[in-house]
Amino acid sequence: MSELLYFLAVLLSAVFTSNILLTNYLGMCSFLAVSKEIKTSLGLGAAVVFVMAITCPLNWMVSAWVLEPLHLEYLRFIVFIVVIAAFVQVLEMIVERVSETLYANLGIFLPLITVNCAILGASLFMIIRKYTLAESFVYGTGSGLGWMLAILAMAGIRQEKLNQSKLPRGLEGPAIALVVAGIMALAFMGFSGMGGGN
Amino acid sequence: MQTKVDERAVGWQNTLPVTPMTTTQNASLPLLKKQAPMNQVLYALIPLALSGIYFFGWRVAVMLAVGNLAAFLTEYAFVRGTGQQVTMAVFVTGTLLVMGLPPTLPMWMVVVGAVFAVAFGKMMFGGFGRNVFNPALVGRAFLYISFGGFMTANWSEPVPGVAGGLLAYASDTITTATPGMTLKTGVEIPFRDLFVGATAGTVGGTSALLAILCGVYLLWRKIANWRIAVPAILGFLGMQGSLWLAGAPKAAEPLHAMVAGSFLLGVFFYATEPVTASKHAVGRWIYGAFIGAMSSLIGVFSVWPAGTMFAILLANMFAPIMDYGLKQWDAKRAVAKKAVAAAGPR
Repeated sequence: MSELLYFLAVLLSAVFTSNILLTNYLGMCSFLAVSKEIKTSLGLGAAVVFVMAITCPLNWMVSAWVLEPLHLEYLRFIVFIVVIAAFVQVLEMIVERVSETLYANLGIFLPLITVNCAILGASLFMIIRKYTLAESFVYGTGSGLGWMLAILAMAGIRQEKLNQSKLPRGLEGPAIALVVAGIMALAFMGFSGMGGGN
Repeated sequence: MQTKVDERAVGWQNTLPVTPMTTTQNASLPLLKKQAPMNQVLYALIPLALSGIYFFGWRVAVMLAVGNLAAFLTEYAFVRGTGQQVTMAVFVTGTLLVMGLPPTLPMWMVVVGAVFAVAFGKMMFGGFGRNVFNPALVGRAFLYISFGGFMTANWSEPVPGVAGGLLAYASDTITTATPGMTLKTGVEIPFRDLFVGATAGTVGGTSALLAILCGVYLLWRKIANWRIAVPAILGFLGMQGSLWLAGAPKAAEPLHAMVAGSFLLGVFFYATEPVTASKHAVGRWIYGAFIGAMSSLIGVFSVWPAGTMFAILLANMFAPIMDYGLKQWDAKRAVAKKAVAAAGPR
């Protein structure tokens, strides 16, 4: 029971307290580029959750069972990127087969997940925080959910509110999105210290 | 995609504004746009402002003047030359910002807060009626994060005596904690003291009694929506009550905790702002309950002394996506109902 509560704490702290996007500012590029529509954001968000939830334990295995026994820790960065890229490639093929619309909507952004700093960031944080295999899976899922939550909120604001109002010239598009992201990060500061904090 | 942006940019210059809030270029327009609902909010804020002066001295009046002037000038800088007017709402923003500040805050910080609130909270989104977040709270959050010590550990006790602050510029007694903070450490404070106010705290937030009276006025004039205020209070009592019963450290008794800080002021004046709140019938209940529960959660578990401001900003942030989801759900149910009705005669 206490184990379960601990996993819940890891999950919630990954979603809220140390939200990968709004407190660590990782994965900003796709966050700003894809958040214009709620539907696409939902697709990309789900893809990020899935990729993070799988690549975190995958990288953990590679790190703990291959790199560390061989004392190749200095190759971590490049190996993690290769693992993520290979996995995303497979995911892209699956998405293309399963949902043609989602594939068309995601367009360039699915391959871009490969270089989404949030994905690599989650894997590196997991190593720094010395999580176990099970924890790394929970942490990866939580980080992905946090990212998805943030991009959904942003897409809601942009599609439902900003699209319908005339913004001052020069503030349209990414400019106002950055302002909104800043205020969202201010709001997320409220979670600091919750769940033990990391 | 590039051309779409260009069209919008040109359209912004050429088309006549369609909303009644904006006006065409006209030299004879008065500088200030009167807004009846905003006047009502300002009336409701008068007792709170007076109580602030009575408790903490005339410095509060100077803060109000400085904050409102800075807010007005910021909005004026944005609308100058566009043919739009400065809206009455800017004084609501300025006054609400000062209501949430400690009475000892340096004047230049009041200016920073007011400028940030109006520029980043409101005008960058296109002005009145288009803001995504509550402008006053955006300004306050900015001050909170930037000048933590000034905002959370620099309070003054109310000026003693019958005349109170009416004969003083500022209170001499400085304290580092408000009753809301000491309550969390397990110290017992009589309910009456917390309810009536006249304790260390923000300019307009110490007296729960006044906040309720002014809030009820807003509800009565239908400026504030009870469908947000009531679930917010229930949400707070529910969450704080469960935490208190569960014996969470720092969780004070719910009724005491509710009247100790600025929670009620936040619920009636900030959370019910119609522009940033949920616009869906069911959504309003969820929105309010979220604010109440989140205020309690952040107040008990985070490093901050109180959570109302963050709770409302978070609710502002998630309101559009929630409304979208609820609308989709409504549409689905309507379709299902139609299908049932069509299949009915058989």
